[in-house]
Amino acid sequence: MAKGKTKQNFLKGIVIENPLFVSILGTCPALATTKTLEAALGMGILFTIVLVCSNMLVSLLRKLIPEEIRTPAYIVIIATFVTIVKMLTNAFLPELYSSLGVFISLIVVNCIVLGRAEAYASKNKVFDSLIDALGMGVGYTLALLSMAFFRELLGTGGFTIGQIFTFIPKAKLTIIPAPYTISLFSNPVGAFIVFGLILAVLAFIKNRKDEYKAYLVKQEKIKKQQEALAAQQANTDGGNK
Amino acid sequence: MASKKKYIVASVTLGVIAMASGLLIGGANIITKDSIKKNQEKKIASGISEIYGKNALISKKIDVKADTFANVYKTVEQYYEVSDKDNNKQGYAFRTNGSNAYGKITLIVGFDETTHAFKGISIVVDEQTYNTTLEDNYISLVNKGERDVDDVKCGATFGAKLVKEMINEATSAAEELWKE
Repeated sequence: MAKGKTKQNFLKGIVIENPLFVSILGTCPALATTKTLEAALGMGILFTIVLVCSNMLVSLLRKLIPEEIRTPAYIVIIATFVTIVKMLTNAFLPELYSSLGVFISLIVVNCIVLGRAEAYASKNKVFDSLIDALGMGVGYTLALLSMAFFRELLGTGGFTIGQIFTFIPKAKLTIIPAPYTISLFSNPVGAFIVFGLILAVLAFIKNRKDEYKAYLVKQEKIKKQQEALAAQQANTDGGNK
Repeated sequence: MASKKKYIVASVTLGVIAMASGLLIGGANIITKDSIKKNQEKKIASGISEIYGKNALISKKIDVKADTFANVYKTVEQYYEVSDKDNNKQGYAFRTNGSNAYGKITLIVGFDETTHAFKGISIVVDEQTYNTTLEDNYISLVNKGERDVDDVKCGATFGAKLVKEMINEATSAAEELWKE
């Protein structure tokens, strides 16, 4: 695969085909684990690890897995990586494990993981599948982080680090004074509001872009028509003379 | 004949994948099991400190078997004799473990030595979907004395029912233990 194509393959997961904001997949953990930036980052990293491993293995075994057992085989592969990731998190990052709770296990049923295995990894080479998984993983992580940014800021008034990733020294940055914080944003309902607002802003930007593109096309058309008219006029004038 | 071969190939492939998965999970279990056990013990010790104060220590661990109490409790797994640094008995703490479709919960429920009354609760494991609400809406309020221990609230009725059952069993086990 050419370098440009690899870059495009990676970037599509972040912008054009962002799993959360464009495909609206994996919304359940996005609403539940974006209370803090640290939890969102943890979820994003675990999700990316599972997606990368499962995509690579599915791509590696794509010619060996018969058509009839494709889905159960993918589920077994995904569940294996999720179980391993869950065990490792429980052993080495217990705070992250407690914070994400059942949502680590629920990566098994995340539509993005099975979707990428089925739609991409089963038809493409290992390297391409790795790049696709990395792009999708980074795109999903960035989407989670953007939601967590607003929720933690508005819900608690600032950002705390070192609570979940305990190897980082604990620090708190307060931006909004306590009386002005809105605790609603720390609750699930706040997640829905933030998610809805981000989708609305993205839809607005996309619509404006589309409108601008349509305007440019229209302008181009008018210009061409005017040029054609001018040419016709010149021809007519030339004939009359 | 061809379809028979197709089924055999499919079954063998799935079997091999499942076996490889089992081996990988087994390997991960060997690597992580000691750390997981250590983390859980640390969490139990910090839970005991939360209930009985910083100087509290576990002086005795007793596994609950079928013959430990007259009644057999489904959720009570282990109980601890808690003492302070001078070896003065502080009370008994019960480790209760329950699960439902939402996930697993393990709690430490502590009782006072002198009054025999309920002293506090702490969470060891909470894998339920509404895991933050159990801590925020129930346990922290109960420990501050702002909520009645029977008035369980943790986001979903299903989860609250399980927590209530666990606490009731721990209370019954404690009552039985004091009687002895």
